[in-house]
Order: sequence, then structure tokens, then C-alpha cells
Amino acid sequence: MRIPTPVITLIVGVALAASLFFSSMTAVSAKKAALAQAAATATASPAATTSVASPTATGSAAATASASPSSSSTLGFVIPPHANYVGKVQGNAGSVAIVVHDSFAIAYYCNGSTQEAWLRGTPHNGKLSMTGKNNATLTTDYALGHARGTVTVDGIAHVFSIIAVHKPSGLYQSIATVRGATVKAGWIVLADGSQVGSLEPDSTSATPAAQTAPKLDISSLTAQDGDTTLTAKPIDAETGSGF
Amino acid sequence: MAAQWGPPAPSRPAPIQPDRSARLLVVPALVGCLVALTLGIYGRLHSPTGVAVDVIGFSNGATAKAWLATAAIVFAVVQVGSSLVMYGKVRGVSAPSWISGLHRWSGRIAFILTVPVVVHCVYALGFQTFNARVLVHSIAGCLFFGAFTVKMLALTRRGMPGWVLPVLGGLAFALLVVLWFTSAFWFFQTFGVSK
Repeated sequence: MRIPTPVITLIVGVALAASLFFSSMTAVSAKKAALAQAAATATASPAATTSVASPTATGSAAATASASPSSSSTLGFVIPPHANYVGKVQGNAGSVAIVVHDSFAIAYYCNGSTQEAWLRGTPHNGKLSMTGKNNATLTTDYALGHARGTVTVDGIAHVFSIIAVHKPSGLYQSIATVRGATVKAGWIVLADGSQVGSLEPDSTSATPAAQTAPKLDISSLTAQDGDTTLTAKPIDAETGSGF
Repeated sequence: MAAQWGPPAPSRPAPIQPDRSARLLVVPALVGCLVALTLGIYGRLHSPTGVAVDVIGFSNGATAKAWLATAAIVFAVVQVGSSLVMYGKVRGVSAPSWISGLHRWSGRIAFILTVPVVVHCVYALGFQTFNARVLVHSIAGCLFFGAFTVKMLALTRRGMPGWVLPVLGGLAFALLVVLWFTSAFWFFQTFGVSK
């Protein structure tokens, strides 16, 4: 029996799809296994966590030590050593970005105008408790693919449930000195490509005020603030840029 | 009063031609529906991983998809052009002997180029509804592979009405253009053209 050529076309397409599908499954489960082992090693020997803190070290450095079989990731979730999470807070009252790079984390909340906060913290076993100026706080649980928690800025608590993203989505920061004042701007580029950003005209102040940041050009990483061109750099979990 | 028109003279009803029946389309259409539903339901139920196997030579999955989809659109334009020539719709151009070969191979290449894209979409991103662009893209993606399946299966059946193939081909092309505008075009516009 001769198979008609259009059917052969479909069969070839399905076969290609199936092979790509299974190699994707293999690739993802291999990544999960590597992360789970790295997490297990990090929990087994807390000293290893500090050693991977150097900017040149990669997360897989911890995986060279043997994994303890008793400890694994909490609740079956896989805790990635590097992750960028962005998303809107509930009620659409702003967006939040969390970047975890080994034993450091940077987060940014902003509503695109006067409310914003930069926060720092130390990840511990998939949990983060972060602080920033003006008594800003952020607590989150994160795992492969998503993070959820609460960020409190200017006394207002926002609940969020956000997803892991890759460049060009993520967090961007620009620090420049303009007429003696330190101008610090931050942009969150969401998974749908939309962005929100705020700018502190005098960020070294104890209680910096903020305003809407000029639009960030993602391809050139610049923004025009009046006669000043701000150059932004990504705060990126994969490369450690911005840490 | 208007003139009294008598009923038209009774004429023999046109003979029914069961062989040129659109009924032949039923099985291909059902298979196409099955393909579209499978993609949509799997994309909705499977929890997206955010990553899939990478296509070599590109900086990331999204860029690779945008370029593959753009290449598919180019071949799809060849599809429409060659079919217009085959149907004699281009004035002054008589179909050369190689036109059906061009039509078939451009279609095969366009289809194969879309396969890595759909695998990445369904596996890494899933069927999403968080804004109008994404919703339209998700629905059009499921419908495109359904329509393409119907077109391929319709080609294997003789005796279908003449409108079937142009309508199915046009539908597949229109859906592909919608897919491209809601993904690759949006991507290049938002993030710039890069490799």
C-alpha cells in the first residue's frame, strides 16, 4: 500500500515534534535533577553556600560535592540557585522583580511613579526575607518557575505570585551622577514585554523620593531623562550582572 | 397590480453528484478538530516549564522561534503565490511544469519550520490567556495545526468540491499570519531585531 505524500508530511511533522518533545522533557528533567542535587548539597553543608558567593563561581560548583541522600528540596519543590522572577502584584498596584543569584538576592518593587523600593536579602532554602529603605520589606517562597509572597512599601502590603523569566524580561537598573546628586532608576520588564519604571532623583537620601522613570529602550539599554542619557544594566541571575 | 407571473416552468432538478460531495471532508475535519483540541487542552493542563530544548545558533528560545516563524511566513507566501499561478489567477502567467513541485516543497518546509516553534510554545509556555495578544495567539496556534491537518488529509481524497483546497489553504495561511503578527512581529517590535 502506498501512503499519500500529504500524510507523509504530517507523519514527518509529528515525528519531529515527538523527538523535540522528548528531548525537551529530558533537558528539563536533567536541569531539575542538577538543581535538586545542588540544593541538597547546599543544605547538607552550609559552608558551601558562602563559597559560591564569589561572583565567578557558578551554582554547579556546589554540585561537585557529594549530595546527602537525606536532604532534598523542601516540599518537593526545586530551589534554583539562579532565578529572575517578575510580575504584577495583586490588584495591579505595581510590579515586583526578584533576582536570586547564589547567596544574594535583589528585589525591586515599583508602581511606575512615586512608590518604589530596592530590597536586599539572603536566600535560605527557597525562602527570602528582604529589607530596603523606608522600612520596605519583602518575604517570599520561591521555586523553579515561580515565587509568591508579600512586599510592603510605604506601609502598604502587596501580595504577589509571579513567574520566572528570561532576558530580555527582568530587572534593569541605572545609577548616574547628575549635578552632584545620585540618580537611581529601576525598570521591571514583564514577560509580555511591557515595562514599569521609577526614578529616584536623589537616591543617597535616607528617604528618597521617586517619580516616573523615562522609557527604557531594551535594545540599547538607554533612557533619556531630560538632557541626561541614562545607561541601564540588567540585574541578572544567570550572569550575576548587577550584583 | 403587478403582472401575474406564473411559477417557473418545472425543470428537472440538477442531478446530485455524490462523488463531488463535501461529505468527504468529514473525516479530515474531525481529525483536524482532534489535533487542535489536543494542542489546546495539553497546553492548558501541562504546567509550563519556561524552558525547552534549545535551537542551536540563537541566543535564546524566543529569538529562535521568532526567526523560524518568520522563515515559515516567507515559505507560506511562496505557497500562496504558487497556488495562484496553479489556479491560473495570475494574468499572463501560465503555470510552468515545476510549479506544483515548488508548491509542495515550500509547504513542506514551512510546516517543518513551525514544528520546533509549536513544541516550544506548548511545552515551555502553554495555552495562556493573560492578555488579548496571547489569547489570540494561543487560539490561532491550535486552529492553525488543525486547519493544516485538514488540508493535508483533504489532499488525499479525490472528488471534493473545488472550493475545498483554496479555502483550507487560505485559512491555514491566514492563521499563520495571525500567529506571526501576535508573536514574532510583536517580539521584534518589543525587543528589537537580534539573533
